[in-house]
Amino acid sequence: MHLSDEQLLMLADGELPEGDAVSARGHMQACWTCREKMAVLENTINAFIRERNEELAERVPSAAGPRALLRARMAEMAAGQRPRRAEWLVGRVLAAAACVCVVAGTVVLLEIRARAEGPRPNAAMTPGETRPISLAEVCSHPTAEVVVQDISLETRQRVLEKYGVRSGVPGDFEVDYLITPDLGGAETVRNLWPQPYSARWNAKVKDRLEQRLHDLVCAGKVDLETAQRDIATDWIGAYKKYVGR
Amino acid sequence: MKAIRMPWAAPAAVESQRAPRQSPVEDEVVALYDQLRVPVMRYLLANRVPAADAEEIVQEIFLLLFRNLQKEKLGVNTAGWVFGAAHNFWLKHREKTRREAGLVDGWDAGSEGVADPTARADSMLLSAERQQTLMAVVRALPEPQQQCLQLRAEGLRYREIAKILGMSLGSVANALQSALARLARADR
Repeated sequence: MHLSDEQLLMLADGELPEGDAVSARGHMQACWTCREKMAVLENTINAFIRERNEELAERVPSAAGPRALLRARMAEMAAGQRPRRAEWLVGRVLAAAACVCVVAGTVVLLEIRARAEGPRPNAAMTPGETRPISLAEVCSHPTAEVVVQDISLETRQRVLEKYGVRSGVPGDFEVDYLITPDLGGAETVRNLWPQPYSARWNAKVKDRLEQRLHDLVCAGKVDLETAQRDIATDWIGAYKKYVGR
Repeated sequence: MKAIRMPWAAPAAVESQRAPRQSPVEDEVVALYDQLRVPVMRYLLANRVPAADAEEIVQEIFLLLFRNLQKEKLGVNTAGWVFGAAHNFWLKHREKTRREAGLVDGWDAGSEGVADPTARADSMLLSAERQQTLMAVVRALPEPQQQCLQLRAEGLRYREIAKILGMSLGSVANALQSALARLARADR
């Protein structure tokens, strides 16, 4: 009586109960047929795991960046407070992580109402608001990403409540600035709204516009006030105008 | 707001300027992250989650782990817990993707709606590379077989797989055997 394919697999995987495994190994020593079947099974497993891991390995990026982000997020969660002023750059990094945590926080706590907002903010609730900022400040960083500000938990909650967002699934929404801080956008509820990731015109697309406007403003091709106005009145239109497609 | 991209863009600056004072729990989570990130990423990528989404899901899993460890809620089988969370996040991701697409597409429906999906994949043998062919056969497998295979490929034991997928031990063994039999036929 030969071993079944399932018994062979369980034997190979160490999943047979010990008594059965002893019997099965004894049988294998006596049976060339079962040994040949086992060899085919092992070859199949080897081929699958080799090809699979090879294919997937190419698609797994370096861990350095994500690991740093995880550390920052954990530190932020553990601290439960805004970073000290002296830790300026660190503060900005952690602030960024905190912003992520706005969305990430919804992971566990919340669920978004079916009535999701569209890609444009409600103009009455989020008309856009600026703070004083000089061109030198705007252009003191090479990328728009560097100048990012913490959004207090209280403000975030007010924004979500205002838009009727009661709860959330991870990554569905980003509490986003309408006028990005690096262009002088203020951290007020009039300049913030929950932007869906899922829509075609989503937060990631808007990030591209913000970077483009940052570059144009710093190159002297668009003045800061125009950039602020265009992104506040119709950011999708501004995207088409400045980025194209 | 570019809250996600910034720290990724300059990880060296982040690490060098923070002078971190990590708590033991944070260190423990990072050690587990270093150990399990690649396997979990592979599992998600194998389930057709885009790389950026997979990375974000991994972050969520380990933040959840961090919260649980802070409350001392985690049991002994960390890898099993992490893959269980990965599986649940994948289910949510798939549901969201399907909802956005407005249909139940051919993800795994093919395995239910086609008489012998392997036959179609088998036909690719003549022209396709072995890797592509094997992966095509895997993707044509019924979903429980795919899930068992992918979790087993990451080193999970039958008992862990059964718990994650809500199957019996016998069903896991049967699914794995059937999957490997199909792969063996395709790879002949």
